[in-house]
Amino acid sequence: MASLSEEVLLVVKRVRQRKQDGTLYLMAERLAWGPEGKDRFTVSHLYADIRCQKISPDGKAKIQLQLVLHTGESTTFHFANESTALKDRDVAKELLQQLLPKFKKKANKELEEKNRMLQEDPVLFQLYKDLVVSQVISAEEFWANRLSLNSVEHSLSNNNKQEVGISAAFLADIRPQTDGCNGLRYNLTTDIIESIFRTYPTVKQKYAENVPHNMTEKEFWTRFFQSHYFHRDRINTGLQDIFSECAKEDEKGLKSMVTQGVKNPMVDLLSLEDKTLDEGYGTATVPTTSNSSNKSLRENSNSAIIKRFNHHSAMVLAAGLRKRHQILTSLFVAFQVKLQEAIEYDDLQGDSGRKTISLNLKKSDRYSHGPIPLQSQHYSTSQDIINSISIIQHEMRSYKPRLTQVMSSSAASSAITALSPGGVLMQGGGQQTINQLVPTDVQSELKHLYTAAGELLRHFWSCFPISTPFLEEKLTGHLEEMLQAAYNKFQAWQTRRMMRKT
Amino acid sequence: MKLNIEGLLVYFPYDYIYPEQYSYMLELKRTLDAKGHGVLEMPSGTGKTISLLSLIVAYQKAYPLEVTKLVYCSRTVPEIEKVVEELRKLMDYYAKQTGAKNDFLALALSSRKNLCIHPEVSSLRFGKEVDGKCHSLTASYIRAQHHSNPSQPVCQFYEQFDAVGRQVPIPPGIYNLDDLKDFGRRKGWCPYFLARYAILHANIVVYSYHYLLDPKIADLVSKELTKKSVVVFDEAHNIDNVCIDSMSVNITRRTLDRCQTNVETLQNTISRIKETDAAKLREEYRRLVEGLKEANVARETDMYLSNPVLPDEILQEAVPGSIRTAEHFVGFIKRFLEYLKARLRIHHVVQESAPQFLKDIYEKVCIDRKPLRFCAERLRSLLRTLEIADIADFSAITLISHFATLVSTYSKGFTIIIEPFEDRTPTIANPVLHFSCMDPSIAIKPVFGRFQSVIITSGTLSPLDIYPRILDFHPVTTASFTMTLARTCLCPLIVGRGNDQVAMTSKFETREDFAVIRNYGNLLLEMSAIVPDGIVAFFTSYIYMENIVASWYEQGILENIQRNKLIFIETQDAAETSMALEKYQEACENGRGAILLSVARGKVSEGIDFVHHFGRAVIMFGVPYVYTQSRILKARLEYLRDQFQIRENDFLTFDAMRHAAQCVGRAIRGKTDYGLMIFADKRYARADKRGKLPRWIQEHLTDGSLNLTIDETVQLAKHFLRQMAQPFRQEDQLGLSLLTLEQLQSEDMLQKIAQIAQQA
Repeated sequence: MASLSEEVLLVVKRVRQRKQDGTLYLMAERLAWGPEGKDRFTVSHLYADIRCQKISPDGKAKIQLQLVLHTGESTTFHFANESTALKDRDVAKELLQQLLPKFKKKANKELEEKNRMLQEDPVLFQLYKDLVVSQVISAEEFWANRLSLNSVEHSLSNNNKQEVGISAAFLADIRPQTDGCNGLRYNLTTDIIESIFRTYPTVKQKYAENVPHNMTEKEFWTRFFQSHYFHRDRINTGLQDIFSECAKEDEKGLKSMVTQGVKNPMVDLLSLEDKTLDEGYGTATVPTTSNSSNKSLRENSNSAIIKRFNHHSAMVLAAGLRKRHQILTSLFVAFQVKLQEAIEYDDLQGDSGRKTISLNLKKSDRYSHGPIPLQSQHYSTSQDIINSISIIQHEMRSYKPRLTQVMSSSAASSAITALSPGGVLMQGGGQQTINQLVPTDVQSELKHLYTAAGELLRHFWSCFPISTPFLEEKLTGHLEEMLQAAYNKFQAWQTRRMMRKT
Repeated sequence: MKLNIEGLLVYFPYDYIYPEQYSYMLELKRTLDAKGHGVLEMPSGTGKTISLLSLIVAYQKAYPLEVTKLVYCSRTVPEIEKVVEELRKLMDYYAKQTGAKNDFLALALSSRKNLCIHPEVSSLRFGKEVDGKCHSLTASYIRAQHHSNPSQPVCQFYEQFDAVGRQVPIPPGIYNLDDLKDFGRRKGWCPYFLARYAILHANIVVYSYHYLLDPKIADLVSKELTKKSVVVFDEAHNIDNVCIDSMSVNITRRTLDRCQTNVETLQNTISRIKETDAAKLREEYRRLVEGLKEANVARETDMYLSNPVLPDEILQEAVPGSIRTAEHFVGFIKRFLEYLKARLRIHHVVQESAPQFLKDIYEKVCIDRKPLRFCAERLRSLLRTLEIADIADFSAITLISHFATLVSTYSKGFTIIIEPFEDRTPTIANPVLHFSCMDPSIAIKPVFGRFQSVIITSGTLSPLDIYPRILDFHPVTTASFTMTLARTCLCPLIVGRGNDQVAMTSKFETREDFAVIRNYGNLLLEMSAIVPDGIVAFFTSYIYMENIVASWYEQGILENIQRNKLIFIETQDAAETSMALEKYQEACENGRGAILLSVARGKVSEGIDFVHHFGRAVIMFGVPYVYTQSRILKARLEYLRDQFQIRENDFLTFDAMRHAAQCVGRAIRGKTDYGLMIFADKRYARADKRGKLPRWIQEHLTDGSLNLTIDETVQLAKHFLRQMAQPFRQEDQLGLSLLTLEQLQSEDMLQKIAQIAQQA
């Protein structure tokens, strides 16, 4: 049976799989199914491997739950307990709904990463095809040291990727439609939900707290749209509204933002005035609005709207900004810079220093070396060149053709033919010819074989020094097989080529 | 470059110069030569500050006996710091060119909150707390107690400064607020008092208006500034309101209640002291008999607000006998307080003049005019004698005493209005006594009288003739400068109609009209789609903005705007608005683009610049008239009409237009900047409104840009923005709006420059 360390979250009996009765187990990290009467699982999936779950429509006779894996395979469970089948299925579904996203993130990220690497690197893709698709080595092994190898580069390129901000009007984009019978229908997409969550973390928290223990997802969003939170101009009255707490949290957040004060003293209205008049002086009417009792309801709701817009915009802005590496310059320096900026007239300045844009290099060595490999050469100094030119000039001046001692015409013509393309002396450039001789498809096939073999050798050598039994097993066990397989493959290719040639 | 301004060698710390800067310096020099006052209007962003500083510093260097000090007044702390930085740049240039070491002392002075370095005191957040705490550590009697009882805490920094700081003058140099703090930390001296002391012999002082215009503070800080100073009020378009505010008092029921407790505390303290230390009170009495002068040997750290009336109005005689003893004085205050309470118990609005009030108070409670006049001084003396530590607690009684002194000193230029409730909430009793100054010239008069040259300058002072009238002085130069432009980088447009041809206006009768609100919304929506980066929109009042935002929300206009830009809105809470403002800038900075909805006359419109991408368009929704139903305003308008022959409507329009110009002018800060200025009200197209805009905006208002519809506006704006987005190089400006020294010296250029300044 399952190892004891695993926590079993849910057990559903009488679940059929492939027409066989059994029990479905939902554990902390995986889902498993074992046929009745046997003490082992015939089906076991890690949650991370599951892409999604599907359920049969409500009206159908068979109550089923299908799991689709990332590999594309799927497993279908049939809940066969007549009386409680639907309930059983829903319980399992809800639990999975909670569990899957936790693992999904991790799995997705890795998958995406692999996908990206394969797409960006055609050589790697070919290698993957040669080794993994042809089952020379397993995918896991293929990736095992790839990912770590590329992690540095990957993090670099990932940093440059810009996160997409949130549209400020995302709430406005949720257009309610009438459903024809005195109701409203809101269409929510995952993007909108994501936007809501990113902008209003309190709603996300509420969601996590309430869905699905207390209410369904649908119910949650229905309540959201009915709430005073969404329609902030309405004055908060009911305490039963779960979002009243969100509003309070937001209020708190806004307050803390306000009390934090602003970093830029140029916009700090509080410290703008040097010497304010003491209370009671001045012509401005004494502010009596502080007590909200004599404010009308309408005024209250108006100022609530204004507050809400400020908060909303601030949150959208904050969600759009990635957590930047905050350069902790002291406030003082920042202020000095601002001051200098404020008094600077760049057009009056003579040499207005152009602001330059710093060059962002991914691989600085490539930039500094350039694409041409450095060759060791014997360089001549300019003096040498000038000298030799003068010598040549000198020689040319004193050159006199001695026509009596020239070569015979037949010897000359044979020398020319020997030096013309195709002549005896012109067959030195072997490299070129091999390039031309061998057709490109053969070349590329050979290249693939070569890289595949190279990859295997890399695996082979990376096993040394043999420090763990796993490595030893890898080395003696399947690596050898793999090399053999690769060799066989090469042989096969060679004979195939020979066959074709002859 | 080195300039020759009518024989004066002026060092100008840039390689190029704007023609209008040269012209500005010419006018300024003429003003200084004549030892008179000047009103100069030059658009912001044309380097007004550096022109002022360059010329006045050169003048000071050339004629050290004629002009000994420059007092530069600005409005906000960042502005003050900007001025000092520009000055530093100028002085660096001097040092580089002449090779001589700088022998000028220039410094910024600000409140304790910005200068304190005491670890505990400076951590307090509000200015008043800092002042109070500072007082409790540095007051003269506290320090006296410290002598006998060393466990009494005092401020080490002040003690250090007091011990040695006065003998050793602060070395020449440019001291910004942070430099002062650094210097203070190095020496262990209090930067605030160091600065207060150093302004007496500094060549250049930069501080805020209040230190010169508010008599309560000016008497303490700026009393001993030399007559041969040049005083500059920068950003002076609001100077009349600053003057009025510094002389006006509001008394509510709450003030009176707090004053009541103050009186009780005083009574208790007096009776306690009488038992323990009666000699102290006798000593005070003796001093008061001898006259106020002797009673006045105040220490600089004793932070009681000085007399609220102007120096020449302060009586130089002995305090009348009826309020000389402490008990009598407290009794007197009590009587006065009871009288005020009775006056606030009314059900209808009362408006009366100061003499009427005095007559009434004499008839009802037999309080004479003379002891009332001494109230402020007498209270000051009493508080000092009683050694009251926390002076902030006594703000209510101080306010009452100031009111007493003011009302009995000035018989003209003030009005008393008692309102039983607010206009908006007639059912809630909230009586307020407004003692309101109507004549800004009262507060500024001593400044004009005392200093040889006072320069009033700003980007928006049009119409120029009105300032000399309301401030009651005679300038020797009044000039308005235009902005020479190589490309028309400002685009004022007057939108008068929606696409449905309904007139757009914030006129009272139609402002709640659904069509007007919708058209305003459509205008903003259309602009949000075509203007890059930041848009700033100003409304005429906060309540109006709230209503419009609410109806835009209901109509779904805001949602549509959100598709284009983020929306931030000014609130009545300054901290919240600061945050919104910062987020707004952040959104402009990172390319998202944002809209800031704000209020004319609000804090944002007065103090924040929207340079470059922070404000590519400013939309002024409506004409920002002041709330005309206010009785204080009505009284002031009447006064203006009777005293200065300024018609009500003229003043109201002038006031509205200067605020509108202030708002739209926020977007343009220099010749490389560009921005749309959209006036969304058909009334702007009228000649009487248009004509009151500053000349540098008016010039670009063609007949083709009046009374446009939204569609036409969008077309013009698109065209303008596309043109402006083309690269703009220095060469494009050179010779037109930017000059080298040689170009400046050419004959025809000098002729052109002569046309830039328009004398009013």
